[in-house]
Amino acid sequence: MTHGLWNLRVKIDGEMILDVDPEMGYLHRGIEKISEDRHYNEVITLMDRCCYVAGFSWEHLYILSAEEALGIRPPERAEYLRVLCDEFQRIGSHLMWYAAFVQDIGLMSPFLYGMRDRDLVLDLFQSFTGARMTYEYMRVGGVRNDVPSGFTDQCRKVLNWLTDRFVEYDQLCLGSTIFRERCDGLGLLKAQDCVAHGVTGPMLRSAGVRRDLRKDRPYSAYDRVDFDVAVADGADVTARYLVRMEEMRQSIRILNQVVDWLDRHPGPVLADRLPRWLGAPYAPIGNEGYLLKRNYPKGVGFSAVEEPHGEAQAYTVNDGGEHPYRVKFRSPVFANISAARQYLIGYHVADIPPIMGSVDVCVGEVDR
Amino acid sequence: MEPDDIARQLAPKLGDGLLSVEPFPGTAGRVRFRPEKALDLFRSVRDDLHFGHLSMVGGIDWVDHREVFYVAWSDEAKQYVFLSTDVPANAAHIETASSIWPSANWHEREAWEMVDITFDHHPDLRHLLMPDGYTFHPLLRSFKLHEPEELEVKSRRV
Amino acid sequence: MTAPSAQVTAPRPAAEAYRLESELPMATQPGVPFIEIETLRAKEFLPAAREALSSLIAEQGQAKVIRPVFNWAGRNSLFPLHWGLACCAIEFAAAFGGRWDAERFGVVPRSSPRQCDLMIVNGTVTWKVAHKLITLYEQMPEPKWVIAMGNCATGGGPFRTAYSVVPGVDKLVPVDVYIAGCPPRPEAMLDGILKLEELIRERKE
Repeated sequence: MTHGLWNLRVKIDGEMILDVDPEMGYLHRGIEKISEDRHYNEVITLMDRCCYVAGFSWEHLYILSAEEALGIRPPERAEYLRVLCDEFQRIGSHLMWYAAFVQDIGLMSPFLYGMRDRDLVLDLFQSFTGARMTYEYMRVGGVRNDVPSGFTDQCRKVLNWLTDRFVEYDQLCLGSTIFRERCDGLGLLKAQDCVAHGVTGPMLRSAGVRRDLRKDRPYSAYDRVDFDVAVADGADVTARYLVRMEEMRQSIRILNQVVDWLDRHPGPVLADRLPRWLGAPYAPIGNEGYLLKRNYPKGVGFSAVEEPHGEAQAYTVNDGGEHPYRVKFRSPVFANISAARQYLIGYHVADIPPIMGSVDVCVGEVDR
Repeated sequence: MEPDDIARQLAPKLGDGLLSVEPFPGTAGRVRFRPEKALDLFRSVRDDLHFGHLSMVGGIDWVDHREVFYVAWSDEAKQYVFLSTDVPANAAHIETASSIWPSANWHEREAWEMVDITFDHHPDLRHLLMPDGYTFHPLLRSFKLHEPEELEVKSRRV
Repeated sequence: MTAPSAQVTAPRPAAEAYRLESELPMATQPGVPFIEIETLRAKEFLPAAREALSSLIAEQGQAKVIRPVFNWAGRNSLFPLHWGLACCAIEFAAAFGGRWDAERFGVVPRSSPRQCDLMIVNGTVTWKVAHKLITLYEQMPEPKWVIAMGNCATGGGPFRTAYSVVPGVDKLVPVDVYIAGCPPRPEAMLDGILKLEELIRERKE
């Protein structure tokens, strides 16, 4: 129910799956085309809605590529705030995945626990951005505003609460015979198939490949925080569950460090000396608003972030106009679903919900 | 890996198919190549330079020509490499990369339906995001979006 | 103990003096029909009840008895279709969590449109899905209602200018309640459902 709209056409013989053909595009909103009519900071509104369970990660992705193309660096406090947003978003996204995944399998109460804990994280988001899901918080050159006082204490309370809850979640799921029977050995996607089909993220790490962009190609403040990469063997649904749970624990570890740093280092959150046309592109004159044409730079920017679903990439091309000429995004779930033939054929129809749940589909970013 | 290393390893295989290798911040380099030598380049990038993971294939419409770009990742070097080529607008076709990297399959389907670049010998070139039978290619510059309805405050370019 | 100095209340009659409950002092408001209740023996009750009810229905008919009962049942058990299109679906799901328990309003999502009477369109509607959305709407049995949740379903939202987006689901199906927001909070969605319940309360046919 949370995944979005897509069509999985399955050829079956009785209950056995013979062939699959995922059909996407039911949520294609033309984000890349609309972005060509938006100013650089206005594209942020679309990035929240592109992948709605991981809004901050996609904002971060686009902002990094726009900053590369325009040649602007954010201040250090903004980088730590972006990491805070990313990691809390990772916890929120994985909790949403957990709630939907276990409900698809049939366990009903962990859905309620997952939503309850996710609401705590969304309360934190609302306290400094004003919104639960579509934040529009990051800007080219930093973030929109600083966090309120007392925010770091609230963060610590939520992080401590969550640490104990994960023990409970593991007891509910790994301790449940039905869960183990249904999920062990299901949806196998070995490492060389993952790499060949472009699968990244928890699916790749569940096959034993230790690849995480936050460690391999650090961006923002990830080179200054300490954490481990969550890897599991097994390449099945249970392994992906274990990887995502461990990622949440590592996120808590990162967040404790980030929250301590934010307490000790006040500072600006938006780069000073931003170009005029970035901050206020529309200057009102009389009753009509005018878009001021300045010297917009030419350039290209490429960025990649480790989103909760996997590796996402953005490529921005500016050709001197006030809008980006082309923005192209690569969504991790796009590649994860394209490999559907590898991990769905040979199983039963009743295995589709656990397997597709473990893939963690978010159709908004596939279709863009 | 530096752009010079890439140029040194690719030049013997491609000859004049390799146009240039420029530095591109955040990646190992930007390789410009001729579209006729695409398959040789892909094979060389995957086998000799060990960029085994293709992440993205996209197209850009620069009205008189179209640019196809590929992004690949290497686990050994822990870097991306950016490959790009230009195809003429009236003959926009290039060899598919899906025989070298299977992950290119869906990306090329999307690049075709958005920017109208035909990928030769693609196993399954049909619509991915738009409905079957959609005849337009939306990300071409000649395809204009509707203007939003006039609001009270008009905005005009100065 | 001395007797009270004055009798401030009337002396309570003995129990045998009560014959009809209608003689009890009860506050009634003008205009509210008051059905006289008589204490009857059990075997006299059924024919008297049947006669009273049929005379009531014959006088006041559908409008006063049958229609309100159906409206009450319908608005307190709205079963929406269990589907989600885009970001608003996440707030739809959050409304079924523990904090904003939507099921206490009788709202239980059902997977088959044949079992639903409410379709909450929560997300952007594209032309590719338009045919299927109309099919789902037609598969729902009467009486049925549609709530357009969020800015995309109301009028296209941030994607109104896109080539593949339907500018509002009311171009495809008739909509009863529009909920604004991008996305609307779960409380806003529940408020929209309550507004629909008020609409159903006023239903005449």
